[in-house]
Amino acid sequence: MTQTNRVRRGTAAGLGVAAALALTACGGNLGGDDTADAESFPDGPITILVGQDPGGSTDLIGRAVAEGMSDELGVAVTVENRPGANGALAAQQLAGEAADGQTLMIFNGSLGYITPLAVPEDEAVDVNDYEVVTGISLDDYVLVTAAGSGFSTVEDLAAAGRPVTFGTTGVGTGSQLSQELLFNQAGIEATAVPFDGGSPTLTAVLGGQVDVGSIQLGEAIERIEGGELTPIVTFAEERPSFLPDTPTAIEAGYDVPVQQSRALVAPEGTPDEIIEQLRDAARAAFETDSYQEFNENNLLTPNEIDGEELQQRWTENLEQYRSVVEEYGIDLGGAQ
Amino acid sequence: MDLAPVLDGFTVVLEPTNLLYCLIGVVIGMLVGVLPGLGPAATIAILLPLTIGIDTVTAIIMLAGIFYGAQYGGTITSVLLRLPGEASTVVTVFDGYALARQGKAGTALGIAAIGSFVGGTISIVALSFVAPLVAGFALDFGPPEYTALALLGILLVSTISSGDRIKALVAAAAGLLLATVGRDSFTGAERFTFDNLNLADGLDFVPIAMGLFGLGEILHALEERHHAVRAPATVSNVWPSRKDLRQSSGAIGRGSVLGFFLGILPGGGATLSSLAAYSMEKRRSKTPERFGKGAVEGVAAPESANNAAATSSFIPLLTLGIPANATMAVIFGALLIQGVTPGPRLVEDDPELFWGVVNSMYIGNILLLIMSIPLVGLFVRILRVRATVLAPITVMITLIGVYTVRNSVFDIGLVIVFGALGYLMKKLGFDPGPLVLAFVLGSLLESNLRRSLLIFEGDPTGFLTRPISGTLLAVFLLVVLGPLLSRLLARRRATSDRPAKEPV
Repeated sequence: MTQTNRVRRGTAAGLGVAAALALTACGGNLGGDDTADAESFPDGPITILVGQDPGGSTDLIGRAVAEGMSDELGVAVTVENRPGANGALAAQQLAGEAADGQTLMIFNGSLGYITPLAVPEDEAVDVNDYEVVTGISLDDYVLVTAAGSGFSTVEDLAAAGRPVTFGTTGVGTGSQLSQELLFNQAGIEATAVPFDGGSPTLTAVLGGQVDVGSIQLGEAIERIEGGELTPIVTFAEERPSFLPDTPTAIEAGYDVPVQQSRALVAPEGTPDEIIEQLRDAARAAFETDSYQEFNENNLLTPNEIDGEELQQRWTENLEQYRSVVEEYGIDLGGAQ
Repeated sequence: MDLAPVLDGFTVVLEPTNLLYCLIGVVIGMLVGVLPGLGPAATIAILLPLTIGIDTVTAIIMLAGIFYGAQYGGTITSVLLRLPGEASTVVTVFDGYALARQGKAGTALGIAAIGSFVGGTISIVALSFVAPLVAGFALDFGPPEYTALALLGILLVSTISSGDRIKALVAAAAGLLLATVGRDSFTGAERFTFDNLNLADGLDFVPIAMGLFGLGEILHALEERHHAVRAPATVSNVWPSRKDLRQSSGAIGRGSVLGFFLGILPGGGATLSSLAAYSMEKRRSKTPERFGKGAVEGVAAPESANNAAATSSFIPLLTLGIPANATMAVIFGALLIQGVTPGPRLVEDDPELFWGVVNSMYIGNILLLIMSIPLVGLFVRILRVRATVLAPITVMITLIGVYTVRNSVFDIGLVIVFGALGYLMKKLGFDPGPLVLAFVLGSLLESNLRRSLLIFEGDPTGFLTRPISGTLLAVFLLVVLGPLLSRLLARRRATSDRPAKEPV
């Protein structure tokens, strides 16, 4: 009998405290002009869509960001892989989700500013149709050749005296664009040989099946350091800190800055207050040691810029690429 | 040969988790081996999504266990009930059941288990030596070599599989057609995508395999009337006598070697090699009239062969990334889900995975040998589980499972469509195997052919001047022309008496 009473009293006290806390919480927000949505955000677990297969670099980045944000927001943040069509499938799904910040996506720069050059217009995805929470990081492409190929500079390739073959990681990728631009500007006769992703391209370059290939730095670095691959140029505007001795294509005299960039986006119409909360959470995640170590290990350069700036840069990229591609008569896909 | 990675492989296997999954794998394998209608390919297809959260090595160890475990399990029902649990144990019925009726069921099962063990082990040892050898050529395997290999593979798959040849060809052609769906990976042009982004990357292999093998088989098995299964006679005298052993030792040896080679061939595998081993023994025997009436060799040879083949069919998959038979195609899918593209670099880049899986087969075979005899009674009791109970559960697992692979509702639809197709194919006597294999090899063929031509600048003679692709194409020609030549010879020889018969 006594025991029951005590338990009941305990429960009541607990309820009282909870009620008081809830009241204070409400009171604190009374002055704001928030919609109900923003006030209750986050309302349960958050999903981050990734338009690539598990285990790839985009997936790993998504998971690293999700982990940090989860600690910050106090709710579970899970990554859901929805691979297909360079990420367009995930983007399509995100567009159909409620604009409440509960569903986000890791948006690949190539989907925004390279794929549109290769696919029919109605399939092109525009980053301006989404609310960008924040930029995440940049990934570099490096032009590599097998150690025994005898090539080590762009001039060597030009002096090969025969058409050069180059492996790309697929149609409408930065790998394809960077090499098409380089070889066209350098006046080198070259044939693109597309492979399914970075790893098969790497194998083909190593085996001498193709002369060169443009691969994301993180995938090639081990073989570069092991001496199996020779880096020729990188495609960023500045030398990446991870490969300080390799010239950029720009230093070599060609105007082809191509990088992979990634951003965290939400469906169009997501309230600003929610976007801000998400941005703060993402920023806090970026600050953690474990995240910075992750960037370091994967050779990623932080690019934690605001949404507007990112949209502007990506749009500029697309316009710039479109004009050079037209100038040189490059055809990334056959379906334009 | 560098032994360090091989030994490291054993440390991988001996991790408790891996041992456990190896055990789970072989037990599931034995169970589905016993159940007619549910084969290893179907089971692995259904269980594919369950491997997502597991380590790659662990997942493949389990799936491989299901495959070779099924070869053991299938024997039990063949011998005791004249009911082959697997296609690869059909021939075991002839002499195995005859032996059982003579009260020597124990002997038959014992010989089968020993034969399976020896066949499996010989094959693993050979695999350990051959695979790194093939992998040594890894970097020489470029697009032209893959083109030739895929071409040869498609030809073998559609011609030497054990069923009707015309039907196999039709199924393979359908597989090639399905492989063309999706955005062209060279130009970005849309092919048969009907403006559906879900089809932009082509049809995914996993739902096709789960539909054709999983759902299709379940539906087809439901249709069969289920008789009450008689309780088997008590099995005694499991250890074969010295005389039986002496009589079958040759058959076990020959069966193992034959099985090993047939397992490597695309389109070969356990079923074909068990048939071939049986007929080889019968032909070699001085007393062929004993076959079908309880000859121990008639059990020993096919059982050794099917296990040897089950193991050796891992060679083309793990070294070249080419699945040799339907089950390997499904394991190929499992590797893809895990983010591992099997290919020539696997042995070097991921020795833990490669040697972990290979060495797990030693352990698995020992487990099976230990379990298969004492647990016979238990496994036979599984047959009493009614299909009406089993089917809805497996269907549900399949549909939920396929969704979890890519979080795609579209894939559920695909499984249902391909499940219906698989059911119809089975009903009309088509083997879905060639379809699935041609689907995998078809995309390999197309993209590598186009890559090769880009590299050769459009000059197809490049295929003939590279040593490996040239050799493979010569083998291709031999396989195409071989039967024609022998038909011609047979006709010339037979013109005097009567019209030539169809060559065998």
